[in-house]
Amino acid sequence: MDVGASGVTDAAPPTAPARLPALAAWRFHVGDQLAWRIAAAIALSTVSAALLVALSGRNPAAAFAAMAAGAAGSPHQLGVALNRATPYLLAGGGVAVCFRAGVINIGAEGQIALGGVGAAAVSLHWPDTPSPAAAMVALVGAAALGAAWAAVATAIHLGRRVHEVLATLLLNFIALLLVQQTLAGPLGQTGAGFLQSPELPAAAWLGKAPDLGAHAGVVVAVVAAAALSLILWLTPFGFALRVAGRSRRAAAYAGFSMNGLTWGVMLLAGALAGLAGGVEVLGMHHRLIEGFSTGFGFKAVTVALLGALEPLAVIPAALFVGLLEAGSLSMQRQIGVPSALVAVIEGMTMLFVLAATVRRA
Amino acid sequence: MTTLLQMRGIVRCFGAVRANDGVDLDVSSGEILGLLGENGSGKSTLMKVLFGMIPADAGDIVFRGRRLGGHRPADAMAAGVAMIHQHFMLIEAMTVVDNVMLGWAEAGRLLKRSEMAARIHEASRRFGLDLDPDAVVADLPLGRRQRIEILKAVLREAELLILDEPTSNLAPSEVADLLTILRRLREQGKGVVFITHKLPEVLDVCDRVVVLRAGRVSGRSPVGAVTRAQLAEMMVGRDTTAPHMARQASSKVDRLIVTNLEGPGLGPLSFAVKGGEVLGVAGVDGNGQLELVETLAGLRRPHGGALSVDGLELVEASIAARTEAGLAYMPADRSSTALVKSLSIAENLMLRDSRRAPYSRGLFLSRAARDAKARALMREYDIRAPYPATPAGRLSGGNQQKIVVARELDRKPAALIAHQAAWGLDPGATRFVVERVLALRAAGAAIVYFSSELDEVLDVADRVAVMANGRFAGVVARREADLGQIGLWMSGRAA
Repeated sequence: MDVGASGVTDAAPPTAPARLPALAAWRFHVGDQLAWRIAAAIALSTVSAALLVALSGRNPAAAFAAMAAGAAGSPHQLGVALNRATPYLLAGGGVAVCFRAGVINIGAEGQIALGGVGAAAVSLHWPDTPSPAAAMVALVGAAALGAAWAAVATAIHLGRRVHEVLATLLLNFIALLLVQQTLAGPLGQTGAGFLQSPELPAAAWLGKAPDLGAHAGVVVAVVAAAALSLILWLTPFGFALRVAGRSRRAAAYAGFSMNGLTWGVMLLAGALAGLAGGVEVLGMHHRLIEGFSTGFGFKAVTVALLGALEPLAVIPAALFVGLLEAGSLSMQRQIGVPSALVAVIEGMTMLFVLAATVRRA
Repeated sequence: MTTLLQMRGIVRCFGAVRANDGVDLDVSSGEILGLLGENGSGKSTLMKVLFGMIPADAGDIVFRGRRLGGHRPADAMAAGVAMIHQHFMLIEAMTVVDNVMLGWAEAGRLLKRSEMAARIHEASRRFGLDLDPDAVVADLPLGRRQRIEILKAVLREAELLILDEPTSNLAPSEVADLLTILRRLREQGKGVVFITHKLPEVLDVCDRVVVLRAGRVSGRSPVGAVTRAQLAEMMVGRDTTAPHMARQASSKVDRLIVTNLEGPGLGPLSFAVKGGEVLGVAGVDGNGQLELVETLAGLRRPHGGALSVDGLELVEASIAARTEAGLAYMPADRSSTALVKSLSIAENLMLRDSRRAPYSRGLFLSRAARDAKARALMREYDIRAPYPATPAGRLSGGNQQKIVVARELDRKPAALIAHQAAWGLDPGATRFVVERVLALRAAGAAIVYFSSELDEVLDVADRVAVMANGRFAGVVARREADLGQIGLWMSGRAA
């Protein structure tokens, strides 16, 4: 007893100091390494998704195989994921820039919907425009209408001091009703049975890559993200909005106009959200359909946060969500995992990844 | 009169600063003790130690014969000490009764509202508080709200009431009423500690005064045996014979001119500063300094008046235009106004100049130019940090302020507004800031230097102005500055 106890006390000192720093170093290392944290998040979400699938009575391994095949199993599937990611990337980039400036814009949902209206209206109004120009003017119309809707929110926010979250959020519902109204009226196809526009002239459709099936909007979105990154990091405007997001008092002291900055980021984000709607209409459906963008705007917020509000990092974030959605769809189709469960898995995965990536201020 | 409180040899340090350095304090029942001192003299620290908000490093507290030590505010309250803060701890949307019952065990698990209302009525009459239990706090003027705090204290059977700057938010008639209430408290045998820097009130109502300076007791006396001038001297009193170079403005031309500037809590106020001159503005914090500084800098809009730098009218100008016109500004708030802590040193150095060369080239910012400029400024202004990309928040307070100094002075400004520029800095960094300001003076700029540390103002100023109640109570050339007079000005009586 005595011998054993003294043996322990004798042995403990040499090993303990040697092991503790190693442990601390390991924790520091993991704690600081983003890649590790993301890997842990994905592992955790995989485990919990597997649990949920198992609880619903299906084989998790088969479900994950179907998911992987659905996400990137073939060029065509990859194209589906890329097309899904495109509106999230466009609108998410705009949201990221707003959040960077401390302007909490959650109006992308409505701005995207009206962007779709803009694209459809322009291409239906000038049906004879030749091929590359037709898509371009339609996209300009989409961006303009999205920006206009953001301008309404900004005017209410700055003019009447309504909090931007309220102004942008509430205008979403009005925007969706406006879409319905235009489809019931001027843009609607009579006798279709549900609210949609006639098919748009083929000249305005976005070109698709052979095999892949990804439309040209993918390129537009990546270029937009790169341009946003340039604006954020290499222009005085970007500097001003980064300062404003950190401290409004410092921004005022530096001589930046908060009103000017708010207008700038809101119009930019509105135009990008409008583009997202336009790209979806011109690239995917070739017509305006009621509810074509349901939930896109809110996913754009998630994507912006997943990308740590960094425009270039929003690219993989959007792609991740696109792959996840494409994969979940095929998991649902092939294994029969209920669609509600798919949404739960999607949401859970995003939560895990967000929890892992959000930086402490 | 029995002795209520004995504090002996209280020491409390914050880092290297001895905020209390062996303070003794006695209060008897039925006595009003005036606790006087400048900002940072240690009054608040001493009272926080008494109330158990911060522990003392050394010293003893005996209250009603019982030792208090390692206690917390709840223990102090239970023992019979009540603290009435400068900012009231009331819920505005609730009534007087609600606020009195809040957090008080005697209000009962099921609230005894009517019984409480009756007790409030009774106490209110006994102490002349004139409070309606059912009034909503938001509808009451500040003077009445303060009485709720006093009411809470007496209902909880406090024997010693500490009032921290109780008159600073009150209108003159409300002050008179408060003093009457304090006398009623004294008649009822309560002890009162009245913390203030306003001498007339002290002489009016207190029985004894204790004056603190730099953490030590610099004087104690019955009120009858001391004059205002003597009290002022005890408050600010320092080595008046300190050598000071006789300075004179190097130019005859007024570079910064302020005329009838007026705003909430400010003015009307007029002054002019010549090139190569430092106007030092002293005064107790909260007398309109922040209002004046921010109005000059363009962060607040004045109601009226004019401001010009080198003849250029700026009162309507934006902050960017003021900066362009040569008006530099070092704000007191370093953590979220003068600097953005999470941004790099280089970005903080370009904070107010990002649209100008060398930072901007056409539409874009030049990173190379920014980092080169940052390295040059870090060398020139001795900003000690490994890289221009180091976040400003990682630096010490002194090095952070050097960033502000470098940015504002590198522009070669025509005029500088410096607000608490050396606040919280160690002596080395303080000297650095003061030297740079004096170098700018030598270069011919007009400088307005605000500080609540009188020593600092006297060190840098060519002329000294004292701010009280939003105006200059007096302005005097540094050579002719008389400390007694300055103390009187600081205590709120205009010249």
